[in-house]
Amino acid sequence: MPFAFEKNYGDYIVAALFDSADEPVVAIADGRVIFPDSDVEFAAHPDAGILSAAIHPSGVGLITGGDDGRIVWTTKDAGPIEIAAHKGAWFDVLAISDASNLVAAASGKTVYLYDLVKKDAPKVLEHPSSVSGLTFDSKGRKLYASSYGGAYVWFARLAQQKPSLLKWAGSHTNIAISPDDKFLITAMQDNALHGWRLADSKDMRMGGYPAKIKSLDFFAKGKLLATSGANGAVVWPFLKANGPMGENASEIAADESSLVTVVSGASEDTILSAGLDDGRVWLAELKSTAQEWIKREKGPAISALAMSGEANRILIGDEDGSVYIYEA
Amino acid sequence: MADTAPVSQKTPVTVLTGYLGAGKTTLLNRILSENHGQKYAVIVNEFGEIGIDNDLIVGADEEVFEMNNGCVCCTVRGDLIRILSNLLKRKGRFDAIIVETTGLADPGPVAQTFFVDEDVKAKTYLDSVTALVDAKHFDQALAADRVVKEQIAFADHIILNKTDLVDGDTLNQIEARLKGLNPLASIQRAERSGVDIQSLLNQHRFDLEKMDSVANHHDHGPDCATDCGHDHAHDHHHDHDHVHDEHCGHDHSHDHHNHDHINPIHDTEITSVSFSTNKPINGVAFTRWLDKLLAEKGQDILRAKGILNIKDEDRRLVFQAVHMILEGDLQRPWGENEPRLSRAVFIGRHLDEAALRTGFNACIEK
Repeated sequence: MPFAFEKNYGDYIVAALFDSADEPVVAIADGRVIFPDSDVEFAAHPDAGILSAAIHPSGVGLITGGDDGRIVWTTKDAGPIEIAAHKGAWFDVLAISDASNLVAAASGKTVYLYDLVKKDAPKVLEHPSSVSGLTFDSKGRKLYASSYGGAYVWFARLAQQKPSLLKWAGSHTNIAISPDDKFLITAMQDNALHGWRLADSKDMRMGGYPAKIKSLDFFAKGKLLATSGANGAVVWPFLKANGPMGENASEIAADESSLVTVVSGASEDTILSAGLDDGRVWLAELKSTAQEWIKREKGPAISALAMSGEANRILIGDEDGSVYIYEA
Repeated sequence: MADTAPVSQKTPVTVLTGYLGAGKTTLLNRILSENHGQKYAVIVNEFGEIGIDNDLIVGADEEVFEMNNGCVCCTVRGDLIRILSNLLKRKGRFDAIIVETTGLADPGPVAQTFFVDEDVKAKTYLDSVTALVDAKHFDQALAADRVVKEQIAFADHIILNKTDLVDGDTLNQIEARLKGLNPLASIQRAERSGVDIQSLLNQHRFDLEKMDSVANHHDHGPDCATDCGHDHAHDHHHDHDHVHDEHCGHDHSHDHHNHDHINPIHDTEITSVSFSTNKPINGVAFTRWLDKLLAEKGQDILRAKGILNIKDEDRRLVFQAVHMILEGDLQRPWGENEPRLSRAVFIGRHLDEAALRTGFNACIEK
């Protein structure tokens, strides 16, 4: 299948994202940040590795966390700029808030919270166990951290505080919040999702997955949540006040020979894309149930996937370093 | 799925245990500084102790997690799962991974991580659990902390370190006691953690394919099976192997149906028991018994291994267990002249030897 862009960079693709101008950006495990549209690359973390990435709160360029203890902002025009450095840290989780210009980065049990406007010393948020996922609410006022035993809730602007804990036994490995701030969802080590209705902390258990859920994406105006971890993409409805409580999930395009490793949906539409552990990628319009393979050739597992804001381009990265751009 | 990937494509992981002062840091410093042709990523507990600046050294937190799957002893190292998945994104940078545990750590959760977590299982394999034992302070360490016994009982390779600080008789005595506590492990002697670094790797101790012997006291250890050259110099244990070996396999291989309980440490808590028979085993009965045993007593059973001669089956049934986690498979056919001896070894706390023997005997075909 002809791709608008296709290139191999020789190392694991950690993240593939579109910035606010729909410019694709790719983070590679060997420390490079790539801008495929202009074929520009930067050594954002020289002689080190990138573990996590997010689009900068300004919407321009990519923030990356490395195994060199550095957090770096890379733009196409200015190249890499160091935001912070903590010797010995491994920044494997990053979250940003474009509403409040905050960046949160986790290394082990510690989360550093940086204010990109004030540029003052970061707030240091300590947890009893390693932090596996971070997400801000839509206004950037609260920060949620998934960890062992539940999700910790921090006020992003408070100097001194003890976090509250949304408690649920087990190891939580990833986190996402619904765009209306009503539901917090974590992925669990035990192949299940856990959810909280934030208004009253009511628990929701969403199970039945054959594998770990590594990718969570709210799409279609926040009315649907897509997840990996099954033969098809699992989609949970958030159409009613109770969210997915009492509702059934749909499994889209299940194929018994493979597992979905990463999902990405259109933020405003019911269009969903999924990357598989056998290297294939599909695109589906959920209303019409139309589904097409946009990468039919098998190969290394898909490790990164993003849909542009206009849902007309799909950025794909795999475990062996290949990057593809599909254009509708 | 992915965990069917051949072992050769997976990254080997060696878990290094040992009580405080046993020589782990010295060994790690040697691994990181000497030119031995292998590149290791090392996951350590205390950054500061390793006096080497190396981007392949990662600090860990020993976070032991319980799984929600109802298996009470299914504890894993949550921090390890995260670190390994991140390390493996750059697998081209190193040949193998070493996980150091703190001197006070129970090795169970580390080992179980490699069998319970599907991603870790898909991309790595547990090559061996190697325990460092301080010959000079052996008795003090045993007396000080029960975790020392657990580390010895759990290991499949023991480096008896600081041999220059005690005399030969003491060493032989310690070695005999180690074998009593853990008949499955091979023992290698060393001064100042001076072992051949390459020999630490690729032991395949948990690989059912490579499991050729269980509690066979004529076994010279896998070091000898593959490369008989360099290890003998500081590996004397063949010489006095027969001292306490009251059940020489070959001589007894006709019509014997014995159980062995060699435990010169006379430990009341952790013991090892082994059984063998040259009569065929009823595979269904054995599997049922083992499943039940591990479900009920798995918390106390640290390790179990066995090779079985199943009735009407030309291939050997090989199994191993770490607490409740059981792996078993039919392996290569028995050799033409190979005695079809079924052997099973259990290492654990408070083992009821009589009950185990009754259970094992009940599986023998009449």
